[in-house]
Amino acid sequence: MKRTFSYKLNIFLFLLPALILFIGILIAPIIMSAYYSFHEFNLVANTDMEYVGLENYRILFSSMLTNPNTGKLYANSMYLGDALAHSLILAALSTFIQLPLALIIALKLSKGIRGERTYLSIFFMPVLISTVIIGRLWMNIYDPGQAGLLNAGLRALGIDQWLFPAISKGITSSKLPFTGQWTGFRETALIAAFIPILWQYVGYHMLLMYAGIKGVPADLLEAAQLDGCTEGQVNRYIIIPYIKPILKVCVIFAVTGSLKSFDLIYALMKDTSRAELPSTLMYKLLFLHQRYGLGSTVAVVLIILCFLFAMLISLAFRDKGAKVA
Amino acid sequence: MKKLVALVLAACLLLGITSALAEAEKPTLTLWCIATESDANRPAYEKAIPEIEEALGVKIEWEAFENDSYKTKIKSTSAEELPDIFFTWAGAFCGDFATAGKVYCLDEAYAEYADALPDVMTKNATYDGKRYAVPLTMNIVAMFANMDILAEVGYDKVPQTYEELIDCCDKLVAAGKIPFGCSGNATWCVTEYLEPIILKTIGYEALGDIFAGKGTWNDPAIATAVDNFQDMIIKGYFDPDGLTLDNDTVKANFIAGKYAFYQNGTWNCGEVAAAGDNFQVALFPVMDAEKATYGQVIGGPADSLAVSAAGKDPALAAKVAFALGKKICQYSFIDAGSGLPAWTPDYDTSAVNYLTTAVSDMVAAADGMVLFGDTAMSADPANIYLSYVAKVYGCEIDGAGFVEALTNELQ
Repeated sequence: MKRTFSYKLNIFLFLLPALILFIGILIAPIIMSAYYSFHEFNLVANTDMEYVGLENYRILFSSMLTNPNTGKLYANSMYLGDALAHSLILAALSTFIQLPLALIIALKLSKGIRGERTYLSIFFMPVLISTVIIGRLWMNIYDPGQAGLLNAGLRALGIDQWLFPAISKGITSSKLPFTGQWTGFRETALIAAFIPILWQYVGYHMLLMYAGIKGVPADLLEAAQLDGCTEGQVNRYIIIPYIKPILKVCVIFAVTGSLKSFDLIYALMKDTSRAELPSTLMYKLLFLHQRYGLGSTVAVVLIILCFLFAMLISLAFRDKGAKVA
Repeated sequence: MKKLVALVLAACLLLGITSALAEAEKPTLTLWCIATESDANRPAYEKAIPEIEEALGVKIEWEAFENDSYKTKIKSTSAEELPDIFFTWAGAFCGDFATAGKVYCLDEAYAEYADALPDVMTKNATYDGKRYAVPLTMNIVAMFANMDILAEVGYDKVPQTYEELIDCCDKLVAAGKIPFGCSGNATWCVTEYLEPIILKTIGYEALGDIFAGKGTWNDPAIATAVDNFQDMIIKGYFDPDGLTLDNDTVKANFIAGKYAFYQNGTWNCGEVAAAGDNFQVALFPVMDAEKATYGQVIGGPADSLAVSAAGKDPALAAKVAFALGKKICQYSFIDAGSGLPAWTPDYDTSAVNYLTTAVSDMVAAADGMVLFGDTAMSADPANIYLSYVAKVYGCEIDGAGFVEALTNELQ
């Protein structure tokens, strides 16, 4: 009995430093954010914390608010719904465009093509570059003037003649015509932000999947080939099911990464209002508006959503056969 | 011989140690500012700081940060971590620090400099009758004009009336020229157009009251002013690329001759004047003569230095802030041409560039001043206001929408 207790105490003592760090760095800030989300205060002006209950949540989730003096309804500029919708669009694009693309590249490279290592390095290179530099780089690519690579290319090919008027017709948020300002309109800004994200992280997911594919036992593949499986059948029935745990991790990273996305959007367009995401709204509320309670509320919503999506994805990828066994 | 060499070396060592000790004995003050390498005021800081260190026997350790990131950094720094002296904007920005008791009252230190610094220049950073910041320079919003481009459409002087300006812009557009450049990436640049237009429509007292929270946005004249601004955008008076360009690019485009006009702060005078003598500076014309006059301007002394109340020696830091502020003001005015002096000049001003001189005359003849909206308003209303200004420039809302939104959200 004494020995068992001593053994458990040892385990506890060894885990204690990690536990303290985990609680101090992760759990405590989440609890503090949740506490702040029920208050309103200004750290710069050193105002007292005022308990506001669920008011911050009501403000963030109401597209329309009522002016207390006039009783008139008005559009709420701090509405979180649009930012969340943008995040979900990004998450969907990442899951259904970025990850399949990464998988295709990983499958092709893992077949031992010539220059495999070189291609791996090339595809992984954008991951190593600072996001701020990538933002600046793509800012130059999207530049609407003569310096912009994208518009210069479109003009050289004469595509701008029909593409720009077509995009203009689709723009309903502004009376201005589209003349190549990719980050200047609500209808184009989010897609313009997604493309660099796709470009940057496709290599990251590709590398994870590539490592998984390389781990598939050679005898499995040989047996399939001996049975006359085509390459597509090997990919579909052996490789993809085998790397399912890696695919799950990639989907979790892609979805939660989209929800937390901030740096590239901020670097790409200083005024993020046309492609507002929860994290950019949180930054504005905390540091520009100095509404620390409201900003903390966005943080809490983000944490809940990240956990929720991670759980849902884990459930979706649950191996039913293994559970039965 | 060996003894002599040893003696000389020992003497050198002793001298080195003594001077190092003397240096270490100097009180050290920290300073944060926005005078980065690309900032027009950088040379003024580089010149002024060593002079003040020498004159007051202090060591100043200074760091410069990019404007927007500085705003975030300074606001999120706790009182104990603030540097001894830091750059601030007068008005509500500094007001938040004063309310929180984070900045040191400068009334005592001001007494020594009262003759050189007119009391009126400290008004924007005076809260509850106490001064909390040392003004550096003062600036207004002005319309820079490229006279070579105006000459091409028959104008040999900057249009003085609204009708003339519209006629000039129409002629420029017809000639394939872009009248105005404005960065939509930095919303404060849009306010440099919108605020003078509102000012010249409703007058400085009404606009000043609105920014101070005493007046109402719910004024049809403001909606008209915004619609007029938007008409100019829709009629092609503004570079459509400006929507996504940053201010540095827009300014470079203007200097390179892409635009006929560039309306922005007069801190640009030095840079524009250095590019040639083909530029002139003027104020935006009057749009409603019953309420506004040509001499009403947006601006005032806003760039300032504040002293942390939690510093090691705030009294010394206050003394250094005043001395440094005076020197920075002098060099910014004379050398960089990046602002008018908030301090009374006691030096030769003949080297001041021709545009700053013209602005100086305008300010001397000014009928009334309204501080920049985002400086005058506190953080939350200022940023709500800026978000709707961005929507106006993007033609997402019209004048009525702008007025309705601000009335509902701010009042």
